[in-house]
Amino acid sequence: MSHTSDTIEAAAVEAATVDLPAHAEAPGRRGLQLPNLTGFILPFIILVLWQTAATYKWIDPVFLPAPLTVVTAFWKMLTKQKLAFDFLASINIVGQAFIYGSAAALLLGIAAGLSRKVEEFFGPTFDTIRHIPGIAWLPLIVLWLGIGAPAKILVIAKSVFFPVFLNTLQGIRNVEKNYIELAKVLTLTRWQLIRKVILPAAMPSIMVSLRYAAGLAWALVVVAEGLSGLEGLGFLIFRAQGLLLTDQLLVCMVIIGLVGFAIDRSMFLAQKRVLKWKQGYDG
Amino acid sequence: MATPGHLTIRNVSKTYSLPGRPLVNVLSRVNLDVEPGAFVTIVGPSGCGKSTLLRLIIGLDYDYKGEIELNDKRIVGTALSRGIVFQDHRLLPWLTLEQNIGLSLENSGWTRAEKDLAVREHIALVGLSGFEKAYPHELSGGMAQRAAIARGLASRPEILLLDEPLGALDALTRIHLQDEIQRIWEVEGVTMILVTHDVEEAVFLSNKVVVMAAKPGRIVETLDIDLPFPRDRADPAFVALKRRILTAMGEDGGKTATRAA
Repeated sequence: MSHTSDTIEAAAVEAATVDLPAHAEAPGRRGLQLPNLTGFILPFIILVLWQTAATYKWIDPVFLPAPLTVVTAFWKMLTKQKLAFDFLASINIVGQAFIYGSAAALLLGIAAGLSRKVEEFFGPTFDTIRHIPGIAWLPLIVLWLGIGAPAKILVIAKSVFFPVFLNTLQGIRNVEKNYIELAKVLTLTRWQLIRKVILPAAMPSIMVSLRYAAGLAWALVVVAEGLSGLEGLGFLIFRAQGLLLTDQLLVCMVIIGLVGFAIDRSMFLAQKRVLKWKQGYDG
Repeated sequence: MATPGHLTIRNVSKTYSLPGRPLVNVLSRVNLDVEPGAFVTIVGPSGCGKSTLLRLIIGLDYDYKGEIELNDKRIVGTALSRGIVFQDHRLLPWLTLEQNIGLSLENSGWTRAEKDLAVREHIALVGLSGFEKAYPHELSGGMAQRAAIARGLASRPEILLLDEPLGALDALTRIHLQDEIQRIWEVEGVTMILVTHDVEEAVFLSNKVVVMAAKPGRIVETLDIDLPFPRDRADPAFVALKRRILTAMGEDGGKTATRAA
């Protein structure tokens, strides 16, 4: 049949000429490229200004020690004091709080997303608790659990919980009706529908909230440690302020900033990996 | 190869009510007999109920009067024996091409090997071999619609419904895919029902063209198309049939119908 071969040729032509993007492997390749240096310009300028200000004594060293003094302080804190211990204490709290908070949020968010009854059951309570900031909970929780890690984990987990819970719920509710219809046509069971359609469809919204929550948790640990307890980066910051150890204060601030940056970048990469199917994701 | 299904639609009516508005007769006493292995196309203006009829046949909508039977069995709900291709390709963006097609076999009861084979065969059938691992956003509109056809056929249904599958494509791709659908129908031997606005498409592909009109949605004319395949769009007999269908749509559907065609 000449006709058939014609159409196959036509198909081949179409397949060959259509825009199958060459960037099928782009995400991977992008990760291996040399880092773009544009983002380092501003930190460099800040560093230069900082050094200049210190050299010409524009600002009293008590309030703004020179960069080198800060580096020396970092080394001293690391070797003579227990900076690593405090750092790990903070990481431990944030890690546990993030895992517990987001796991509970995913579980309940999925349940509430799939069932209006569950949503109605939790809704009013959650909406009230949500509006009491984590920091307002801390004094009470500290009374109950003491000034150790558990109180902070609980309070930060609470702050992680809500954005993830709400986004999971909303992500599930926003699943296109067309996809549900398709699942019906393909005779998918409820479990197949959840696993193959609803959860992947809600994933972009869930991933955004996880990234946001991870950053939030890291920011909150400093506050929580500053308000109670005797260890962690937050504690060190407030201690340094009290003792007027501005160099140590700056060391802690830089570490907090860099760790926050690292957390955000790794969440971004995780998001990119999970959502590699998403069009136009590279922006 | 799929066993072609025999579809019988008897006295099917459907009404639709919106609060505060008069009852709409979406379908009124529709009768249609689709022979096993036939290619039947339903044309008609917007609102004539042609897409509604497909939704009843696929089983997404049960609220109607009358009977719809496939191989003398009343249809109940959706089933893998009835496949459908929508106007939007409706591939799940998070699944690769082969996973998307495999999704239609989740409940086929086949072994892993049988499923893999069916997926591979149907990707080849629609000319997409080599794109198994591509995500939908990496496919052009035409390729995505081919994939949707492969998904519709992978479970070897008795009947495949095509709901304006080429409506969103550009003219050239549409002609390519009309050729493809014609070839696939001949190769697979499955009963197909196509809903379209495009009268030329209807004449090019079908054994039988059913013309519907709106208010109430009903069948106004049924034409057998006896031209041999493959068909020549410029053949005078082809053009004459096209004109006859357009006339049937125009007389009963008013000016809007002619424009829609």
